[in-house]
Amino acid sequence: MAEVILENICKTYGNNFRAIDQLNLLVEDGEFLILVGPSGCGKSTALRMIAGLEDITSGSLRIGGVDVVDMPPKDRDIAMVFQSYALYPHMTVFENIAFSMRLAGKPKAERKKRVDEIAKTLQLTSLLDSKPANLSGGQRQRVAMGRAMVREPAAFLMDEPLSNLDAKLRVQMRAEITSLQKQLGVTTIYVTHDQIEAMTMGDRVAVLKGGVLQQVDTPKRLYESPVNAFVAGFIGSPSMNLFEGTLTGDELTASTFAIRLQDAAFVRRPGLRSYEGRKVVFGIRPEDLYDSSLESGRKYQTIPAKVTSIEELGSEHIVHLNIDAVRVDSGDPDAVDDFGLASNAVARFEPASAVHSGAEIRLAVDDAKFHFFDPETHLAI
Amino acid sequence: MNRQKRSRHHRLKRAVAPYLYLSPSLVIIGLLMLLPMVTVIGYSFQNSAVLRRDPSFAGLKHYQAIFADPVFWASLWHTLYFTCMSVVFHMTIGMIFALMLNSDRINPTLRNILRVLYILPWLFTAVIIAVIWRLLLEPNGVVNSILMQLGLIGSKIEWFSSPETALHAVTFANIWAGYPLFMVSLLAGLQGIPKDFYEAADIDGAKAYQKLIFITIPQLMPIIISISLLDFIWTMQVFPLIWITTGGGPIYSTEVLSTYTYKLAFSSYNLSQAAASAVIILLISLGLTLFYIRYQKAR
Repeated sequence: MAEVILENICKTYGNNFRAIDQLNLLVEDGEFLILVGPSGCGKSTALRMIAGLEDITSGSLRIGGVDVVDMPPKDRDIAMVFQSYALYPHMTVFENIAFSMRLAGKPKAERKKRVDEIAKTLQLTSLLDSKPANLSGGQRQRVAMGRAMVREPAAFLMDEPLSNLDAKLRVQMRAEITSLQKQLGVTTIYVTHDQIEAMTMGDRVAVLKGGVLQQVDTPKRLYESPVNAFVAGFIGSPSMNLFEGTLTGDELTASTFAIRLQDAAFVRRPGLRSYEGRKVVFGIRPEDLYDSSLESGRKYQTIPAKVTSIEELGSEHIVHLNIDAVRVDSGDPDAVDDFGLASNAVARFEPASAVHSGAEIRLAVDDAKFHFFDPETHLAI
Repeated sequence: MNRQKRSRHHRLKRAVAPYLYLSPSLVIIGLLMLLPMVTVIGYSFQNSAVLRRDPSFAGLKHYQAIFADPVFWASLWHTLYFTCMSVVFHMTIGMIFALMLNSDRINPTLRNILRVLYILPWLFTAVIIAVIWRLLLEPNGVVNSILMQLGLIGSKIEWFSSPETALHAVTFANIWAGYPLFMVSLLAGLQGIPKDFYEAADIDGAKAYQKLIFITIPQLMPIIISISLLDFIWTMQVFPLIWITTGGGPIYSTEVLSTYTYKLAFSSYNLSQAAASAVIILLISLGLTLFYIRYQKAR
């Protein structure tokens, strides 16, 4: 068990492409840290650099107090779970899990004892003689975990370990990995592009974009106080709605409607007053938009909107809307453009909502939940 | 009624169609392979086959004659030696070159040049290979002169014309000619092994030889077995290379089953006995082929 400390880590490829730029991270002993970001943001590269599978161009990396920059992977005291699991198809589950012990020349009895222990923890005992090809996705995932656990490493590195599983199994394995990590108490760095995994699994989440660290924080704080429009848009599903507006006195004006802001908004953000008379980006999460015809929406100001489509999920309705305001792109290259043709906003309504596709409605907005960002830098105000 | 008829017609068409498509190749195989094979088997049981218009039945006489012939046993042994050595070295050399060509430690440009160089022997026909090696291994050829200059040999060796070295020399030439097939197949196999396997092994602390033993070779095993079996079947039947370099001599020292059979047929004009010898080769090849097919099915 150990701290993992990254200081000013950079990765530059031959063509001067900078995959990782000045990455600073402190992963505490026993912490579960998630590295998240859109594809190509450098999160896997960062993990592979920690593992030693990728050279570090500059910066320092310490695992358990030891500088490991020039060490080969095997000396770094880490174990890695690969996206593909990298299970050897010609070996049984037992042989796969015991592989590192076999390489280290551990006696057979010791190997058996240790693998049996791990198989018990992971409920793999009955599968020890099977080959990976005969296992289900979830079982393979557990074997990959077992192979990492057998070494009792200082840190676990996991590279999108759930991305090959179907949705239901993913939910189950998410919980299994989280509880296993708590039980073992091993420092874990977990890479994913799935912000739901990021929010539900980690003690803290580090958001990367274009090789640059955007924010490291607990899932809750990341959700409630994103440092910039990118984090705001990336964390949360459906994404936060971001629009351009102009601040005049206490009023936030978009194209044809205005919303009166409460004093609290300015008290909480002293910087907001300086945007008086200027453009500002404002964001609102889908759950802070309400159907004004329902009880829950009565107390808020309303703006006009047109319903373009509805996804009824049973517990809620995801409502795609068009409001008369200019949408702002958060900068997430993976963002599904569900604002395609006619819609530019998404709301989550209670299932009691009776709005239908094509309807012109009054949309209730909880202005106390607004987020504000600088239109140039996209930094939070 | 009409509809029922039409549907039956349609079903019949569907059932027959695949065989219609297959029929041209079946006819060609029948005419060019099965017919000659059956004819040769027939010859092996006749006296003076082909030479006489009404050959008499000979029973197993020709087979007995072959099994009593010491030259047959010598050529069987030479065939085995020639084949086993060829396959083993084809595989070893092919594997070493494939590993080299797959290594990212070698400069990519150099790798491409090497790839072309290594594959060259494959481009030559057996006749050209035979001529090249006859020239190189001539008593006054390049090989002798290099070996003498290096002080490895004291006097010129007549590689192809001395009974001690001739079999090794033809085997060597055949090894040189045949390794590229293994190299190319194994290289394709190597490129198909996921990189993750090696990275996972790196993290687990595997040394280079351990990665070779525990990952590379097991992953290549299906290719190694298939190609080795095929190579075994092909090499057993090699004729032109030996015929042109040594002709089976000197004093039968490079006689293999194919040259033995050829000589029976076209030097001694003992076509019936040659047919019997050919049937023996056929049976050995058939055994190996069945083994190969069973292996392929088992996968």
